[in-house]
Amino acid sequence: MHPAIFIPSWMALGALFALQELLNLRRWGYDFSTAIEFESWGLEYLILGTLSWLMWRFLHPFILKANVARIITRGLPLSIAFGALKEMIWVLFFPNVPLDRPHMPYWTRFEFHWKAQFIGNMIVFWCAFFLFRGIDYYQRFRDKEKAAAQLEVQLANATLAALRMQLNPHFLFNAMNSISSLMRTDVDAADNMLEQLSSLLRITLERGNVQLIPLRDEMEFIEVYLSMQDQRYSGRVKRDIFIDSELHDALVPAMFLQPVVENAYAHGLSKIERNGELLIEAHRQVDKVNFSIINSGLGLLHSAGPATNGHGVGLANVRSRLRLHYGENCSFEMSELDPTHVRVSIVVPLQLSPETESSSITRYGAE
Amino acid sequence: MIQAVVADDEVLARQKLRQLLRDEPEIEIVGECASANETVELVRLTKPALLFLDIRMPGMDGFDVVGAIASESVPMPAIVFTTAYDQYALRAFEVHAVDYLLKPFTGERLSSAIQRVRERLAAGENSALPNGKARDGSGYTTRIVFKSRGRILFLPVSEIRWIGAEENYVRLSTERETHLLRETMAHLEERLDPQTFLRVHRSFIVNLQFVKEVRTEHDGESAVIMLDGQRIAMSRSYKSRILESLHR
Repeated sequence: MHPAIFIPSWMALGALFALQELLNLRRWGYDFSTAIEFESWGLEYLILGTLSWLMWRFLHPFILKANVARIITRGLPLSIAFGALKEMIWVLFFPNVPLDRPHMPYWTRFEFHWKAQFIGNMIVFWCAFFLFRGIDYYQRFRDKEKAAAQLEVQLANATLAALRMQLNPHFLFNAMNSISSLMRTDVDAADNMLEQLSSLLRITLERGNVQLIPLRDEMEFIEVYLSMQDQRYSGRVKRDIFIDSELHDALVPAMFLQPVVENAYAHGLSKIERNGELLIEAHRQVDKVNFSIINSGLGLLHSAGPATNGHGVGLANVRSRLRLHYGENCSFEMSELDPTHVRVSIVVPLQLSPETESSSITRYGAE
Repeated sequence: MIQAVVADDEVLARQKLRQLLRDEPEIEIVGECASANETVELVRLTKPALLFLDIRMPGMDGFDVVGAIASESVPMPAIVFTTAYDQYALRAFEVHAVDYLLKPFTGERLSSAIQRVRERLAAGENSALPNGKARDGSGYTTRIVFKSRGRILFLPVSEIRWIGAEENYVRLSTERETHLLRETMAHLEERLDPQTFLRVHRSFIVNLQFVKEVRTEHDGESAVIMLDGQRIAMSRSYKSRILESLHR
């Protein structure tokens, strides 16, 4: 701590005492010089402030670490020395005090004041002593709290990063396998798929490690993903996407829809020969965003138990990421609308991304 | 015949272009080069109308090549950048490149780039124009660069069929896709040539080139019917304006 904090605050305290004493004296009818009153109290507390600062500056480690035994054996003599030192200095400046006695030599005056002020000085010393200890405890407590909070954030981020990693390679290698297969039968289709895969990788890489992204970015990813799926399902699936315009900037966890859509294909749309339907909707409900992904297929019964065929991995992943981001403030439900349609509903709190124009490269040209 | 030079330091990248360009009977490859210096030299010698240019090459980069060619006394070829990096798109747009192909690109994507080259050459203007002013001096936007679905698009506005407002965004609809852009309708309307683009509704602008008719529906509301059958709502207040434009 800086001496600038100590000395003025001690002197302010001294001024208050001076004022109090002055008012008392006036009330009792004494006429007393205001200047002398403030001078004496001011000097007293200037000395106390300086001594306390010196204590903080040089005895800091002792004050913070001393145990009870050391407080008694070292602290007690120190407190007496503290009071004595203060009086020795103060007495130097006020040779005429006490006023109602004949003039006394220095040491007599010192003895007089030292005895008179003994308790007061002890109180000041020990107040300062425990105040310093308290401040230090508080600071250490704050530091610990801060570190704990940081650790928590780091842990959550690490978990989220790990969860996200599960999505990418799985998806990536499947796509590469499709391309590898197409390469032998339809070069153009393979080429097309490779371009789309590159687009997906570009979008993902550009995003970096950001966990929450605007919905429009997530939908951009989904759109490329869907056009890749179109190639595999060659027109067997009719799809519709409805997103409320006001939700383009809503923040959502990156890549949270892709596993749901992938699941809709893997366990629903892939099981039927034609007229597949996929509907992706996002609507605002006051302060929530309601996502609904409906796909046709064989319903939930036919797609076997969750644990057996990988049904669970992607969706469980989405579920735990939602939980990590929003706690209890979100929901994820999978239900059968009718025997041939399955719906996944996800509700998350509405959070709008701040307007950031910087990432956009849109420019207009005339030529 | 459009004479073209292919500049890329990777053999396989050049090979891919060569193979894909076989399907474009109008394009004749007059030279290939693998470095910036070679490219400048080859352009000086062959004076091609079209240059496929990689951005990262040994020696100078693609933009240095453009600069070096500009300082030679040869006509500036139409430039199509081919690169794996998307961060140069704005610079490419500023030096009036015709297109920006992100590797890997498909034959289809290359075809659309060549179509634009054809249009550029047909317009009789293949040299870079200073300060981005429109050829007719009107100052209206003729093309837009933006990122959509992991690709870079240099979209000529003539390919936009209609534009819809979606809160802080506008949706640009072209023949096959739609693109979402962070932009306001008012700002966009201001930049587009009113001879071609007409505001028909608070939330819609249509390209008159793609309008089939204006129809009054049973309920008395009006709608613009596009050539592809798409129906776009029209407000009463805009109706007289669009009828006037259509009958001009």
